[in-house]
Amino acid sequence: MKIYESSVKKPITTALIFVAIIVLGLFSFSKLSVDMLPEIEMNQAMVIVNYPGASAEDVENNVTKILESALSTVSDLKEVRSTSKDNTSVITLEFNWGVDLDEKSNDMRDKIELVKQALPAGCSTPMILKFSTDMMPVMYISATSKESTNNLYKLLEDGVANPLNRINGVGTVSISGAPKREISVNVDPNKLEAYNLTIEQIGQKIGAENINTPGGSFDIGSETYALRIEGEIKESEKLKEVIVSNIGGKTVYLKDVASVSDTIEERAQETYINGQRGALIVIQKQSGANSVEIVNQIREKLPELQKNLPNDVKTTEIMNTTDSILNSISSLTETVILAIFFVIIVVLFFLGQWRATMIVIITIPVSLIAAFIYLFISGNTINVISLSAISIAIGLVVDDAIVVLENITTHIERGSRPREAAIYGTNEVGVAVIATTLTILAVFFPFTMMTGMAGIMFKQLGWMICIVITVSMVCALTLTPMLCSTLLKRKHNYVTKTDKLYAPIANGLDKMDNFYERTLSWAVRRKWLTIGMGVAIFIGSIFIATNIGSEFIPQTDNGQITGTVELPVGANVDRTREIAKRLDAKIKKDYPEIEYSTFTIGAPSDDNDNAWAAFQTSGSNILSAHIRLTDYKERDRSIYDISELIRKELDSYPEVSKYKITPGGQGGGMTGGAAVEVEILGYDFAETERIAKEIKTKMEKIKGFRDVTISREQYKPQFRVDFDRDKLALNNLNVATASQYVRNRMNGMTASLFREDGEEYKIKVRYDKANRQSIEDIENIMIVNPLGKSVRLSEVAKVNENFAPPQIERQNRERVVKVSSSLYGETLDKAAGNLQKEIDKMDVPLNIGIQIGGTIVDQQESFGEMATLLLLILMLVYIVMAAQFESLTYPFIIMISIPFAFTGMFLALFMSGITLNMMSAIGGIMLVGIVVKNGIVLVDYINLNRERGMKIIPAVVSGGKSRLRPVLMTTATTVLGMIPMALGIGEGSELWQPMGVAIVGGLTVSTLVTLIIIPTFYVIFAYRQEKRIKRKKEREFAESQRV
Amino acid sequence: MKAAFISYNQTHVEDIEEILNQLGIRGFTRWLDTQGRGTADGEPHYGTHAWPAKNMATLAIVDENIAPILKKRIQALDREQPSHGLRIFFWETCDV
Repeated sequence: MKIYESSVKKPITTALIFVAIIVLGLFSFSKLSVDMLPEIEMNQAMVIVNYPGASAEDVENNVTKILESALSTVSDLKEVRSTSKDNTSVITLEFNWGVDLDEKSNDMRDKIELVKQALPAGCSTPMILKFSTDMMPVMYISATSKESTNNLYKLLEDGVANPLNRINGVGTVSISGAPKREISVNVDPNKLEAYNLTIEQIGQKIGAENINTPGGSFDIGSETYALRIEGEIKESEKLKEVIVSNIGGKTVYLKDVASVSDTIEERAQETYINGQRGALIVIQKQSGANSVEIVNQIREKLPELQKNLPNDVKTTEIMNTTDSILNSISSLTETVILAIFFVIIVVLFFLGQWRATMIVIITIPVSLIAAFIYLFISGNTINVISLSAISIAIGLVVDDAIVVLENITTHIERGSRPREAAIYGTNEVGVAVIATTLTILAVFFPFTMMTGMAGIMFKQLGWMICIVITVSMVCALTLTPMLCSTLLKRKHNYVTKTDKLYAPIANGLDKMDNFYERTLSWAVRRKWLTIGMGVAIFIGSIFIATNIGSEFIPQTDNGQITGTVELPVGANVDRTREIAKRLDAKIKKDYPEIEYSTFTIGAPSDDNDNAWAAFQTSGSNILSAHIRLTDYKERDRSIYDISELIRKELDSYPEVSKYKITPGGQGGGMTGGAAVEVEILGYDFAETERIAKEIKTKMEKIKGFRDVTISREQYKPQFRVDFDRDKLALNNLNVATASQYVRNRMNGMTASLFREDGEEYKIKVRYDKANRQSIEDIENIMIVNPLGKSVRLSEVAKVNENFAPPQIERQNRERVVKVSSSLYGETLDKAAGNLQKEIDKMDVPLNIGIQIGGTIVDQQESFGEMATLLLLILMLVYIVMAAQFESLTYPFIIMISIPFAFTGMFLALFMSGITLNMMSAIGGIMLVGIVVKNGIVLVDYINLNRERGMKIIPAVVSGGKSRLRPVLMTTATTVLGMIPMALGIGEGSELWQPMGVAIVGGLTVSTLVTLIIIPTFYVIFAYRQEKRIKRKKEREFAESQRV
Repeated sequence: MKAAFISYNQTHVEDIEEILNQLGIRGFTRWLDTQGRGTADGEPHYGTHAWPAKNMATLAIVDENIAPILKKRIQALDREQPSHGLRIFFWETCDV
């Protein structure tokens, strides 16, 4: 018994099987977590080696080069980059997408092991660091305070960070911008000399006075008591009373030589939230944890924690990654619902019957919900990709059901009973339904085999659509006939109200049929004119195509802008702060769209445990800002427009040496807009520097380039203390001791820890600020040798002012300087093309190579892969159709509709001003499968007519007429199902809009054109075929006559 | 006794069975998936892509006096849906 026969005969079983699928699907749905994108395995790993005391060039020669050549033999490697700077070498390995990073890091470890002995003695063991998306913070919370500023770090650590850390799934919670408390002992060097003391001695004294010692235990009678000596200082004030020396019977207290203050650390990062000093709490999640859930829990907990904080401390959530996730998901859900609504309207319009419409529509929830089971089993999430897949599939899933229903209705109209009509009606079209489904699978299955960046995005999409389409086919072959057999009625003789209502539509549809018939018979009788017109349309569209710009991935607006602004190297925090405040106030005034702005200045202190800050560039001259704008719907200016205006603003500040404004923020990652990088490869610093500068000036003149920056950092001014070893030796000193003296006086030494309420604070001893301000202050440092003899620094060393060499960047084992830039108001390909022209004009020495990299390379790679994918899909589709028609000609005729799909796509992109990017290209590829479906239906029926004995032209015309409605109906469901996507409603929709536009445009135009062109081509080929057969017969006849 | 050969579109299978039951004809032989074409007009029933309709055939040996009733019932059914091309043929049986 055939599957549709058993399903019609066993309606209860059939119904319950689908109920079970729905229940399982809903169960899976309830267990699925929500995320932005499918899980992305990052493809980068870093090796960090410290080589203390070595200059950048030493590091490059002795560490970086050795490791680079060893590591470059690791397989699947795409690129090796390295940065050699003073003391440190950082080598970044970028692998091909989709490799197992754990395996690769093991390989790396093995390779490092091999060359370890060749590394210089003083360098540290190489450390391997894997990148992962989990490093991105899930949430930022700001805390502002007035009175409690000095105590803010502790308040936040106890009151916010620690409780939040206890939430399941929260990784690290770090606080930046809140200065830590510190007891600073600022010593007056003159007094020190007068009392014949050193910083070290004072430090030791403090350490010796501030100590608790367990004294063991002792027995009194039959009891044992513990003995403790509590020498620790209870109040910071008491530190002043510490006796540091005794000169001539007079005690010298600490307060006599130094000022003791209970204050905050001197050099710390400062964070300003909406212009007010505060702190930033950065929350990272544990690997694999659900960010949406974490953020929800934090939000729940935050008001509770706020209650325990002092009144002046205000915590506010300033950024989280989940809002944009949820917004994107909800806007996509809206799209899905709208698409379903449109599809219902179309089906109802064409069928004019409620029951029939219901039968068709029921396939939508069944097949879509089945997809959730797949997501659950494969451990995926509900994300932008899976929801978009659903949205794409909606228009396609009803097609099979429509074909089946249409045929069953025809049978019923001819007088069959619904039950029989259901079985035999399905039987007739079963093969065609399977074939059309196979062509769709032929398009989407190759998606699951994609690699690289595109693979991450489209693998899941491919699987989802394959599964949804397969389920919809099974549904069309079982559930649809079953429902038809039970719900449809034989035609009655009387006219119902619905019939009356539907009558005008029915009339209209009939008129359309007739109009099409007339047009078609006109066209097939003027074959060459028709084809000439078709070719003209296609060639015209190619001209349009040349006017469409291209980019990699469409830019999306997530309402966030990040930026770094650099003052000239060496500017101190005060100057940076002043500019930052001015800028912040100005920007906030000019752009009412700004909801929050935070900026951070200064470098974190050495002993900072802030994991997040370690990954960001910082310095006393660097200001890094983060701006959150109001909701996408509530503003007219996009993040790109505002970024551009901010750039213009920054240009008017002469103090700013360079800046970089990133719309979308670092978290935007893939969608953060386009970027062009010019890589200048060459050994000579001066030469590459010159060329980099030349390219930079050129780029700044080309339209579209923004934030042009040169990667090589400027030479940093520094004071260098050069010890004279002979003189040191004469004074019984060595470099280590002497340099320690300098460090303790300038940077300070941690003498001991001050304990209060279970917390420890550093007691830092150093020169007071007045004596840490000039070269003379350094030269006057008194160094005491082990014999107690003191000598001034100036006697054993020279303090020179000079410039530190820049860091050395290498790429694929060659020195490189990168000139990078972002784009605004120009497409990537055009900007890169103009840049290439400029570079070609340049006079570049032979030993220096220049190449354009950045997003444009990713784009070219992805487009290359798309082209391969397109070829693969074309071949598969051809094979499926050739198998169905058992002919090589018919698939070819049908495939003529494909160029017109591209015509429509170009036209739609041109009219909407959307670029040709990865998403629109994917839309174009999908079109291949969707447009041939129409051709299959059409040619199939024409063939049928000819087999039934009709002449070519009547077969074509009547076949076309009878298939017009099903073709228009399936096309209309797909087009209208895509329209919500093409309209681009809601946050994150910019990403999918190009795909929607491409499909809507391509399918509409190709359907309209192919309804005429395919029959015309069919007529041409059919006549030739007949002629051939006729000639063959004549030949055979002639031969038989000869014999 | 007469041999009645009924050739019918497979969608009629249940109608035919019902008629036979109503007339008390118990014994019959049935062929699934037969093919055929009408003498004068109508669509061929080939079970192919072009002519997807399929036939079935039932052979029943019926009583002389039942035969006309059967013929009437079958012809009535045919009139109801002439496009299905329902036909009944009778032979004289020599021996049972």
